[in-house]
Amino acid sequence: MISTGAFPYLLGLSAFLFTIGAAGVLIRRNPIVVLMCIELMLNAGNIALIAYGRFLNSVEGQIFAFMVIVVAAAEVVVGLALVTAIFRLGRELDVDDLSEMSE
Amino acid sequence: MTALIAVVMALAAISAIGVVLSPQTIYSALSLVVTVTMISVLFLLLNAQFLFAVQLIIYAGAVMVLFVFIIALLNPEAEDRPALDYRAMIGLAAVAAVTILVFVTARNGITYGSGGFRGQQVGAASNPYHTFAFGADAVNAAGNVQTVAGQLFTTYLLPFEITSLLLLVAAIGAVYLTRRTKEAA
Repeated sequence: MISTGAFPYLLGLSAFLFTIGAAGVLIRRNPIVVLMCIELMLNAGNIALIAYGRFLNSVEGQIFAFMVIVVAAAEVVVGLALVTAIFRLGRELDVDDLSEMSE
Repeated sequence: MTALIAVVMALAAISAIGVVLSPQTIYSALSLVVTVTMISVLFLLLNAQFLFAVQLIIYAGAVMVLFVFIIALLNPEAEDRPALDYRAMIGLAAVAAVTILVFVTARNGITYGSGGFRGQQVGAASNPYHTFAFGADAVNAAGNVQTVAGQLFTTYLLPFEITSLLLLVAAIGAVYLTRRTKEAA
């Protein structure tokens, strides 16, 4: 088991993974990699939830992390379906080119 | 045990950097497999056995197989370079600052006793719907899947059912988005 001394390191890892995931969303242009980086950010949130639940003697952290995993699975299904639909239209897979809605 | 935690956390961080910096999409996916597996080990060490199994089955199993399948299907070309201009740098600095601020605030919001964290279950006394309110010893026992299920199917039954509806909507949406239309066929 992890002692309470490891709690700040777990939060630090969570913050680091969240920042890395956000960096990937900002600098990568492939929508598949952007989806993977979103998964990374959700996983970072799960680490924080479970670490808090463990050290506050609560199972709610695990339950909310479970909900986050379910929502992430649904998000990845819809996101990859969108990527497939974009690819079927003959478009290049580049998030910088998919900007019709903003013009 | 401490060395194991350090190795697991270092591997998770290094493979997360690999997800962002790999030019080939398939290498990003394989790095993400390593990351989610290391995170599942952390869940196991944090006494979350159910989440350990769910993380391995859903993430390292289903979700990553879906990613690899889509990558094999679409065969995206490698990016020549990440688009790291000054706007991205400002965004990165802002994200890092906000993340550190939020985590430091959350960290300092914890009440410490003499022996570390306070040893009472949060919300158990004030919530009348805690029909399965477990004590700290039950929550921290080795193997607390039963207590998780007790809370999940009583107090959090409605959110649990709503997630099943969400999965149904996601499946219908995926089928709708990837269907073959008449003009495209």
